[in-house]
Amino acid sequence: MLKIFKKNKIPKRAALLQSNINFEVLPRTTLLSSALSKGIDWPHRCKVGSCGTCKCRVVSGKVKPNIDFSYTLNQEELDKGFILACQSELISDIEVEINLNKNKERK
Amino acid sequence: MKFYVNLRYLIVPISSLVTILGILFGGIYAWTGVFLFGIYTIIDTVTKDIHLRAEKDESGNSYGIKLFQYLVMYVMLPVFIAIQAAVAWRLYQYTSGAQLETLYFGGVAYQNGISGLNLVGAVISAALWAGLGIIYGHELSHNKKEGFLVSRLIMALSGASHFTYAHVYNHHLDLGHEDDPATAPRGRNVYLHTWLSHAGQSKFSYDMEKKKLKNRGKGFINIDNRWLLGYLYSLPSIFLFVWSGGVVGLLALSVIWILSNFLLEALNFMGHYGLIRKEGPVEHRHSWDNDSVFTSWFFIEIGRQCDHHVRGETFFWELDDVGGPNYGIGYFSLFVLTLIPSLFRKYVQKHLDNWDKNYATDKERLIASKFNINKTDEASLAS
Repeated sequence: MLKIFKKNKIPKRAALLQSNINFEVLPRTTLLSSALSKGIDWPHRCKVGSCGTCKCRVVSGKVKPNIDFSYTLNQEELDKGFILACQSELISDIEVEINLNKNKERK
Repeated sequence: MKFYVNLRYLIVPISSLVTILGILFGGIYAWTGVFLFGIYTIIDTVTKDIHLRAEKDESGNSYGIKLFQYLVMYVMLPVFIAIQAAVAWRLYQYTSGAQLETLYFGGVAYQNGISGLNLVGAVISAALWAGLGIIYGHELSHNKKEGFLVSRLIMALSGASHFTYAHVYNHHLDLGHEDDPATAPRGRNVYLHTWLSHAGQSKFSYDMEKKKLKNRGKGFINIDNRWLLGYLYSLPSIFLFVWSGGVVGLLALSVIWILSNFLLEALNFMGHYGLIRKEGPVEHRHSWDNDSVFTSWFFIEIGRQCDHHVRGETFFWELDDVGGPNYGIGYFSLFVLTLIPSLFRKYVQKHLDNWDKNYATDKERLIASKFNINKTDEASLAS
């Protein structure tokens, strides 16, 4: 069935383990865009799933990938549970590992 | 306001339908698509000084209706298929020697059979509007699941299904860099760029699939090979044209594919010609904006390249002027200039000089100076 006919209106929550941040992710909204709208300094660059800057590791919970991650992430990263935040919607509440200081380190 | 904002993007859908009707009516009307292209070039040129911003309500939300805009983009796939089907019908009539006569369908007169000259008009009309169809292939390439597949299928009608992957994973990542085949370096003309960019993007997509399949322990000939699958999506068009017109049909499809890919690559050419990115993220300065009013509405804001390349996830109706480099004229007008490379280079030089002076970083300016030295050498050799 086409996605537009699906009813999934319950927001999910994302917990960032290393920084003790917890925020809401609305249906049909990506993890990255939700984080950015909450003012979280999540590392990102292209926002179309091609650069891999926004990658993070899912420790628990499930995401719905909007694209095939294997074009950007290697097999080892995929096996470890890495995802692209800019192309992930949440199926359940999740816990992720992400180094939010990556941006500052680069600067 | 909401209706106006959403309806203004219907120029291409309506024009595509009119083009189909023209081919179906036959006779001189087979040239309708070419005629419209000419009319729009004039309108674009006359309105080049009108520039609008993205309209928003008091809360800062866009007036764009996502469901409506997506519906239109999805519906364009069968519309573009219908254009090819209409041409195939005319090809069949031409090659089977159908008699030229006026017949009636539901009380409406149309010309049965088609002359060679008007068949040329039908083919060029179809080619132009298939080429313009890339604006939907492009927009949907940035949206996922069904949209991505629809993008692939729209591009496959022009034999360019590889575009969808190459655009997202190559062009958006490597923009302005020599690794991006869609960025034209200074001095290149649009004709050479068409071949180099098309082949380069296909090669990128080929390499990407090869690597992916190798990582998964699968062979290259595989149903998961999206590069190969993309070309398979083009097979129905080939079968249709060969079945309906034999060799003439194959020739007609070749014209449609070459011309439509020429338009696609001309957009890439105009969007980034001569701009340089040495390192770091893509910024507004790495694209040319073409945001005159007619270009914006006709090309569903694809001309707002500066904003699009920084906010690739943003819907076209939300893109805005971000103060990036701007040619100052619309795509139709600029396209005419690109057809005469010397004229285009002359026109664009002042904009490139301005870019070098006001937008480029020191490293980018250094690379630009090497191109400019080559240009000086050529000039002194010529004199």
